Amino acid sequence: MSTNIWVWIAALLSLAIFSYLYKDNPAFRFAEHLFTGLSVGYFIVLYWNNYTLPYIVTPLVNHRWITLIPMALGMMYFFRFIPKLNHLILIPIAISLGFWNGMSIPLTFEADVLKQIQGTMVNTSMLTNIWDPQKGLMVGLLVMVGVISTITYFYFSREHKGPIKVTANVGIWFVMIGFGATFGYTVMARVSLLIARMQFLFTDWIHLIK
Amino acid sequence: MKILENLTKINRRYIFLLVALAVIIPLIVPMKLPTIPGKYTVKLYGFIDKIPPQSQPILIAADYSPSMMPELQPMLEAVIRHCFAKGIRVVIMTLDPNGAALSEEALKKIAPEYGAVNGRDYAFLGFKPGSSIVMMSIGENFRQAFPTDFYGTPLDSLPMMNGIRNYADVPLVLSIAGSAITQGWIAYAHTRYHANVGAGCTAVSTADYYPFLQAGQLVGLLNGMKGASEYEYLNKKNGYSSAAPVATKGMNAVSIVHLLLMLFIILGNIGYLVTRHNQSKK
Repeated sequence: MSTNIWVWIAALLSLAIFSYLYKDNPAFRFAEHLFTGLSVGYFIVLYWNNYTLPYIVTPLVNHRWITLIPMALGMMYFFRFIPKLNHLILIPIAISLGFWNGMSIPLTFEADVLKQIQGTMVNTSMLTNIWDPQKGLMVGLLVMVGVISTITYFYFSREHKGPIKVTANVGIWFVMIGFGATFGYTVMARVSLLIARMQFLFTDWIHLIK
Repeated sequence: MKILENLTKINRRYIFLLVALAVIIPLIVPMKLPTIPGKYTVKLYGFIDKIPPQSQPILIAADYSPSMMPELQPMLEAVIRHCFAKGIRVVIMTLDPNGAALSEEALKKIAPEYGAVNGRDYAFLGFKPGSSIVMMSIGENFRQAFPTDFYGTPLDSLPMMNGIRNYADVPLVLSIAGSAITQGWIAYAHTRYHANVGAGCTAVSTADYYPFLQAGQLVGLLNGMKGASEYEYLNKKNGYSSAAPVATKGMNAVSIVHLLLMLFIILGNIGYLVTRHNQSKK
């Protein structure tokens, strides 16, 4: 067993959190509240050291007065708590929205829309290797059918009957397969977290695994 | 029939217990389940493997926090081991304030194993706030976003950064992240500056990135603990690493839990169908 006091604290707190799986209890609530409090404290220090100190305090100490402009804009968010000056919060919101939208819309549109549409298109290069699992014609057709039928399923401006209903029903299958894949990956992610905790308990704490 | 109907009423604590056993037993009792590297892991591995030694560095963005560590830290470590073993230089940065400590820990652990030296074989730039602004700044010049490395050394004083100005000088940007920040790397580094982007993500977000692979916007993808385990396998197979394969050990447990959950899903559905059949009879 470990002789490190911090390993013991971490292990006992992990067990306290796991105890909730049996039923709610004081040990779990203690660990939960401790985690919340520690997280808040940790993030205050983290943000102070990584944002406030290097980007506000240090520049001001070095007489870089231009820092006062973004600082003042940031402080304007606190007008939310002064009812009479509440409307001034719109200024920093407008500046950040304008800046981020201007910077990201053209590139995001190209990366997430245009390139994706391009990726669903069937082209002549696919004929060179019809069965290629990534660039073959069959995969291209499958992607195209999947995209069109799924979009049809989410098309609500006309009643789903006749060919629209058939296409939408095909779309449901694609959506279900997509959900299944996402669920499988989610299970893997959550189990990975559980495994890491178990590895800690059995390796670092009780030294059962080498 | 009563037994089948009762399948939908099993106390969830028994399920928790079985899942716990399915995780613990494979960890304690060594299993040798085969690792078959996936297509996108092989593509990313092959891409990195072809980079000439002692030439331009790859940029790794380790944008994750401790909650994603079990999946992403083994991935980062496997990629660093591969690079150091091949003599490929590495620049590591992070856009997540928690990522600095995690990536520095990985470097400090692995660099001595391969005799890698800071400034010659790797550079650690640390954390910079601003996400997309930082990505755009690197497109102009690394020094705009990071005038110094994490330890305060000017970038121009690091021998390996000589002549490294922007994305045009790095053969690959590898985004290891547990959030949508990889999409930012695709939008800014790939779309705007035509950099080759690879990704390592948590399993939860893997399905989101397949369309980017299909459209050729990513050179490869490591998905969660599975991706990390496949990379560890390729490293070991090629003699690049003799370190204990952390993710591979975990994957044995993942496989057993997946089988168990599949069994639960099948039994739960049988129970549901039997219950519905009995209710329709009444």
